[in-house]
Amino acid sequence: MSSPFLLRRAFSTSIRCSYRTKKIPEDIITNTLATQERKRRLPKNIQDIEEIKPQAESQSALTPKVDRRRKRGEVSLPDNRLDLPPLSKWIDYFPTTGIALKGRISLANPETAALVADSFVPNGSRDKVIIEAYPGPGALTRALMQLPKERIRKIIVLEDTEHYLNFLNPLQEVDPRVQVLPMNGFLWDTYHQLEVQGFLDDVETTPWSQSNPYLHFISHLPMDVLGEQLIAQLLRCAPAQSWLFKYGRVPMSYLMHEWVWDRISASTEVLARCKLSVIAQAVSEFNLSIVPQLLLPYDDHFYPAGIKPTYSSKAENRRRGTPFVAGTLRPLEHQIIQSDMLDKWDYCLRKLFVLKSTPLKNAIGHLAPGADVLKSYLTSDDVPAEQRTDMMRIIRKLDVEDWAAVVHAFDRWPFAPEDLLVTDSFSRDERI
Amino acid sequence: MLPRSAQKLEMTLVSYSRQRLPRPARLYSTPSKTVNAPVTAFAQVPLPHPDYPPILAQRELPVDESSHLFAMQGFLKRRTPYTILPTPLPDDRVSSLNSFYFTDSPTQDQLAVMDACLHNLYDVPRAKQVFQQLRASKSGESLLESRIYNSFLEAYIDMAYTKEPEDRTLWVEDAYQLYDTMEKGIEKVHPTSSTYAIMLQAWRRFNPESETPVHLSNMPNPTTLLSNLMDREISPTNVVADRVFSSSEEASDIIKLLSKAAVELNFPHVLAELGQAESLGSHVPDPLEDVPEVNPVTRLNTPSEETLDESGNVIPVQTQGEVPFNLSNLRKHLAQVTLARRVLPEDLASRQKLLEESVYDVAVERLRHEAKVFDDLGLGGRELQRADLQKWMWDWHQKLKTRLEAEIKEIIAAEAKIASNKTVPRMGPFLSLVKPEKLSLITILEIMRLQGSGGVTDGMKTARALLTVGRAVENEYKAEMCKRNNIAIPSHARPGEFTGYFTGLGYRDLHARRVTAAKYMEDSEEWTSEWTQLLRVRVGSILVDCLMDTATIERTAVDKRTNEEIKEHQPAFYHAYEYVRGQKLGVIRLNPVVSERIAKDGVRETLHPRHLPMLVKPKPWLSYDQGGYLYNRSAAMRFKDCQEQQTYLDHASALGNVELVYAGLDVLGSTPWKVNRKIFDVVLKVWNSGERLCKVPPAAYDQPEPEKPQNMNDIKAKSVYGTRLKAYMQDRANNHSDRCSVNYKIEIARAFLGDTMYLPHNLDFRGRAYPIPPHFNHIGDDLSRGLLMFAEAQPLGERGLRWLKIHLANLYGFDKGNFDERVKFVMDHLEDVYDSAENPLDGRRWWTKADDPWQCLATCMELHEALESGDPHAFMSYLPVHQDGTCNGLQHYAALGGDVKGAAQVNLSVTDRPSDVYTYVASMVEQLIEEDLKKGDKYAIMLAGRVSRKVVKQTVMTTVYGVTYIGAREQIEKQLKDRKDLPEEECWGASAYLAKKVLSCIGDLFSGAKAIQTWLNLCARLISKSIPADRVPDALQAPSRKKRNGSALTRNRIRKEQMSSVVWTTPLGLPIVQPYRKTKRKQVMTAIQSVFISDPNAPAEVNAVKQASAFPPNFIHSLDATHMMLTALECRTQGLTFASVHDSYWTHASSIDKMSEIIRDTFIALHSSDVLGKLATEFRTRYASHKVPLASLRIGKLLKNLEGAGVRIVTSSEQAAALHEDGCTSFDNIMDVSDVEAGSIAQISTSPEDSKTTEISQKVKVPKPKRGRPFKNAAMIQGEIASLADEAGEDGAGDEDTDSPLSNKFVDLSAVLPPLPKKGDFDVETIKKSQYFFS
Repeated sequence: MSSPFLLRRAFSTSIRCSYRTKKIPEDIITNTLATQERKRRLPKNIQDIEEIKPQAESQSALTPKVDRRRKRGEVSLPDNRLDLPPLSKWIDYFPTTGIALKGRISLANPETAALVADSFVPNGSRDKVIIEAYPGPGALTRALMQLPKERIRKIIVLEDTEHYLNFLNPLQEVDPRVQVLPMNGFLWDTYHQLEVQGFLDDVETTPWSQSNPYLHFISHLPMDVLGEQLIAQLLRCAPAQSWLFKYGRVPMSYLMHEWVWDRISASTEVLARCKLSVIAQAVSEFNLSIVPQLLLPYDDHFYPAGIKPTYSSKAENRRRGTPFVAGTLRPLEHQIIQSDMLDKWDYCLRKLFVLKSTPLKNAIGHLAPGADVLKSYLTSDDVPAEQRTDMMRIIRKLDVEDWAAVVHAFDRWPFAPEDLLVTDSFSRDERI
Repeated sequence: MLPRSAQKLEMTLVSYSRQRLPRPARLYSTPSKTVNAPVTAFAQVPLPHPDYPPILAQRELPVDESSHLFAMQGFLKRRTPYTILPTPLPDDRVSSLNSFYFTDSPTQDQLAVMDACLHNLYDVPRAKQVFQQLRASKSGESLLESRIYNSFLEAYIDMAYTKEPEDRTLWVEDAYQLYDTMEKGIEKVHPTSSTYAIMLQAWRRFNPESETPVHLSNMPNPTTLLSNLMDREISPTNVVADRVFSSSEEASDIIKLLSKAAVELNFPHVLAELGQAESLGSHVPDPLEDVPEVNPVTRLNTPSEETLDESGNVIPVQTQGEVPFNLSNLRKHLAQVTLARRVLPEDLASRQKLLEESVYDVAVERLRHEAKVFDDLGLGGRELQRADLQKWMWDWHQKLKTRLEAEIKEIIAAEAKIASNKTVPRMGPFLSLVKPEKLSLITILEIMRLQGSGGVTDGMKTARALLTVGRAVENEYKAEMCKRNNIAIPSHARPGEFTGYFTGLGYRDLHARRVTAAKYMEDSEEWTSEWTQLLRVRVGSILVDCLMDTATIERTAVDKRTNEEIKEHQPAFYHAYEYVRGQKLGVIRLNPVVSERIAKDGVRETLHPRHLPMLVKPKPWLSYDQGGYLYNRSAAMRFKDCQEQQTYLDHASALGNVELVYAGLDVLGSTPWKVNRKIFDVVLKVWNSGERLCKVPPAAYDQPEPEKPQNMNDIKAKSVYGTRLKAYMQDRANNHSDRCSVNYKIEIARAFLGDTMYLPHNLDFRGRAYPIPPHFNHIGDDLSRGLLMFAEAQPLGERGLRWLKIHLANLYGFDKGNFDERVKFVMDHLEDVYDSAENPLDGRRWWTKADDPWQCLATCMELHEALESGDPHAFMSYLPVHQDGTCNGLQHYAALGGDVKGAAQVNLSVTDRPSDVYTYVASMVEQLIEEDLKKGDKYAIMLAGRVSRKVVKQTVMTTVYGVTYIGAREQIEKQLKDRKDLPEEECWGASAYLAKKVLSCIGDLFSGAKAIQTWLNLCARLISKSIPADRVPDALQAPSRKKRNGSALTRNRIRKEQMSSVVWTTPLGLPIVQPYRKTKRKQVMTAIQSVFISDPNAPAEVNAVKQASAFPPNFIHSLDATHMMLTALECRTQGLTFASVHDSYWTHASSIDKMSEIIRDTFIALHSSDVLGKLATEFRTRYASHKVPLASLRIGKLLKNLEGAGVRIVTSSEQAAALHEDGCTSFDNIMDVSDVEAGSIAQISTSPEDSKTTEISQKVKVPKPKRGRPFKNAAMIQGEIASLADEAGEDGAGDEDTDSPLSNKFVDLSAVLPPLPKKGDFDVETIKKSQYFFS
């Protein structure tokens, strides 16, 4: 019973993206917990943790399949998995191929990890509850654990890849603050379960007017297109105060590709400006938490190593080895998007950003049949002169206020389409 | 002029022409034979042929069946004649041979410009300019035929006569020069009868004694012309009857001129012939004579009824006695003689002609009429609401027409200012071909018709819309040209001395007749040129842009805040962009109110006759683009944006290789159908009630919207809701488009109620036949099939009654029992059958639970009526009864491989009970699920007990056609969704789970098929990697060096030269060309958006993966298509009515036994002809000169697969050593080193002079293959690239390492083609006794 984060994405295209995600049987967490309880009481012999797996696996045929690989003569796991092996050995334990693993990039350098951890949870933080998604082998997790203890009260680690779990599970054995859950940070269901299973029971809800000082979401952003979707979807939860935002204005910190950051922060003057920029800027304020130079060159800090470009080409920016940055996003107190207007924002953004270099005047007609009439909504005489939208501005250069005006006009227009979801869907059968 | 004797002579000749169908020999010869022979002798030739009277000749001859089969088997075993064309060149290379076969787009464009400029003398000087360029450049040499020269002659003469009389002398002089060029044969173009007709016309107009004299010294006079045409053995009668002459008066004058000249030259026979022609023209032929099977049309109830009377298509009244000379009479006579078949009687064809020719006029009339009615009723009346659509369309039409008139004027004015020497595309000429009024209507109708196409809800892809509108204009122009000359339409008629399709004599006869008819059609039609895609898009974009700009509708809505009703004028069509799979795609959408109307209002107006069934038998297929509809061009094959396919088919027709394919299409097209009135009434009732019943979708979507979760902040609940909502919306949209499509069907059925109709057929590129009318045909869904029945009835008989029952059981879904059980099933349910027939809607509705409910209902009614008729055996039954192949793809595989196990699974071998692969697989899957169930797997729990035969059927069926995991998952997902018993959001996961299980179950089930599949796949892979030998030197050249960043520079252009697609010939002689090439689209800026279109005239290198993976399924399809065609022909020979849906063959219930026998006989004949062996031989012949680069063999698993398939390459030790030296050991496994039989090494150097010599002198001597093991021989060619020897740019990025030392080594394609898989012991003759082979 899980559905991917792609909620909106899945609405707009017929691509099914959930193939990357795995199903979590309802009871796996309970079982894991039960096992862990038992384990806690046992002597802390790390090898015993091995036993968790067979049980967990028997619960679900769909947990990652690593056994097959191991049979083919893979290196057996080291006894000490509390500490990460030297980087040179990582390739033995953390494969970089396969659909679930190809897009994963992780901090590898412990010193950098410490820097990043400190920047995400700086001095002055107290009793934080960290939810960390996509930890990978856990360099950042370890760094978080090593921060002064008073800063962090609990770390919930969401990771469902076997290879990584091997080196994450030992952590919860040595530190009661750490909870490793074999779940995928990409699924709505994961967060639903967090709540249902009571992991967040002790988190204080703070009023929207102030920032939530406790709960904090941290993640490595996967390199593939899902990563960008993840951040886009999470940002969209802010206006309606859903997801973790029901606990208040929870900050989110990401290790992400530079180009994702460029898209998020793109101003109206930048070519990279896109839907994500508008949404991010409408719902949040954000900053880089450490100077980007500290994460350069890529190969000194991250795993897996970058692929040497044979020739450079702009389209290749999603290649492994392009720079990463660390940044934090905090929801704004004043949300310009009303909670029930999100669909309309999405609709207008999607329809108009197709024509991103076209002046609003010419583009607005593409919104819906007859939408040219919206021009008068935006510029007619009864609109105060200072509020009139500049119709000559090209779509890319519209700022958040402009967008609010467009969406508002769209909302008032009686002929606005109702089915904002299906309007651009293509039927499955694409034959005539 | 010619007294008595001529009269007598005429009588003889007439009777000769009508009753005596000439024998093939006469057809081979040109008509000029008659000229040389004395006329009297010709007229008095005794009729030595012991012919059947004409009436009998139309009927089937008593044919001995066994000799028939024998002929077919002989035919199939003969060496199939191949159609071999050169491999297309890469786009950066040209050769005259290549442009001879494959015209490039710029040249094609120039032709179209000439055509458009000549039309109505639009801009003859410009046409002349282009013409001269083309003649000078030689690029269009192969295309410039006599017809084009004639068009110019005609245009020059007309210019002189009508448009520019002041420059008369100049124009006439131009004409004479051109004529002179033709007469002297300077440009390989020679005069035809038209040429002389035009020149005679010129003389008639401009001779010194005429009113408009032109004084030129070199003007050829009739005497010169006559003597020239006699030298060319052209018949003066043909000249007189040429289409150039538009009136009888002109023709009569010409006869006089020629007679005078004949007297001067002392040609008495010419004189006599002309006299004869004149008297022929004075005789009215009786078209209804000896037409026993045709009843004159008594009712005229097409929608065009109103205009039919007014437009008054006057059929010449037959009068006795003195008739003045009438040109059209003469033409009819000649047509009958030349065509050697009866011409379609005028009055029979007239309705179809009217339907086709006046479509746009009729539509305008209807709209005008209705608009008037609405106006009379006053605005706001209720009636108005009902038919918004028509009113809107009339409105749009009015506005668009005016707009287009202005727009086109503007364009022409603007283009007039462009200097004539600039080659800017000019649209004026093309937009002037068809009147603005028609342009406007074409645009509206086409756009309305396209809605919902291409998977776009309520809209269409822009590129397709523009292309379609452009093509519609092109078609309309050609149709106008076509009907302008009132060409006689040849009809279907069996030649008199029909000896069967498969005998040598019969075949040659077919060929001769078709060629003559095709030539006749070509001669009597004006020359028009094909348009390029680019031109179509340009024309389409101007029209569509204007439409979107002018067409508006009024829409009302309520303001949410003020509750006021607001009216707004909105565009009826609007343009939007969508992202589909990351690609930006432009679409044109309908305003929601318009699209809503399409599901309700009459849509008949939006349909062009080329989308409707025909009222007469389709025109026989005469060439690749002649046949089917009378006036509207349709292609015999649906080319997939691929000029190569068209060229192959064209040449195959010219060579006479595909007569039986055309004949087969004619057979399929001539099956008469009618609408099943009883079913129609029920359907209409259901439709009008708006309820949902058996695939008739409800008027308002009736499923409940998914429930909104209470707490929208619960993201998980929200996302589940989202998935369900999306599915709901999708279903609702589908419901709408289903409603639209059913609306079309009902409208068409209504229009044809009471008529006999015909479905013209054409082929897809694999040779499978499809009816051309897309909306309503027997290949359509259950509803369409239920609505159709044969127009002719046959008495049931005892066996027929039994088959009717079996048919009913099959339709109900009870098709797994043996025949007796199926009959028993029906008898057990007889009460239900009666109830269904008597009270289809108010009874128990037993029929609605059938697999195919509407066909089931039709059968219930037929059975009920038969049983109630008192004498069921004498009951006249119209219903088609089906015989379906059980997993036909596998049947062919099993027969090809002689696979005993496979044959048993698909009912090729003799059994008491039908075997059913689908059930077998389904139960296997259930077993697997059972195991998972024990493990507590979520999906196993969900799916246990739900895996029915139906769920897996499509996947099993398509496995043999190479379905992928993704494809299988989608098929299964669809099935699971249809079951409706799984939650929407789980279907996807469940289908993924199930697809894996199904595929693993199928795994080794079809191992027999697997070996053949692999063989086919490997052959295709090798072919698509190969390069013709003469391209090899060029392929080793370095590409021009402008690669960006200086990296990835390849040393040769081998990949660019891999242009060979897989081509093969079906046993019927049809060449099949796989169209898969790299997509190369060109961006075209239009007023609406920039669209990307591919240019079929500019082939890119082949897509090897697609060529290989698609070949096995395509090959099997070409086989099942052949089987179907053979069956169709044989059914025709034996007098059975026949229709088919690929592997489902239909005939009357009483003929099933007969047809079953035919099906088996044809299948056996087909598979006794060593199909695979012949394919292998063909590949060796067709690709005899092709070489495969060794580097291409090393990709992926190809080498390993080749090894597995038993390929051995023989090399000399030198060659082997050379390979090893270069560090290449990958070929060791398939290499036999032998100096005894190995080929020698040839050197290919890239310097042009010595390359030839060395190549030839050291030409590889392919050793004589030992019998039975022809694959062991190889030759490798090693080329040394001197010029690039020092190049060291290593780059390993590509999968195909073109820079390795292997890059200059080639092996003969024929040497690496794998040996055929070993054939099993299954004997196809067994099928004769298999009951359930087709059942």
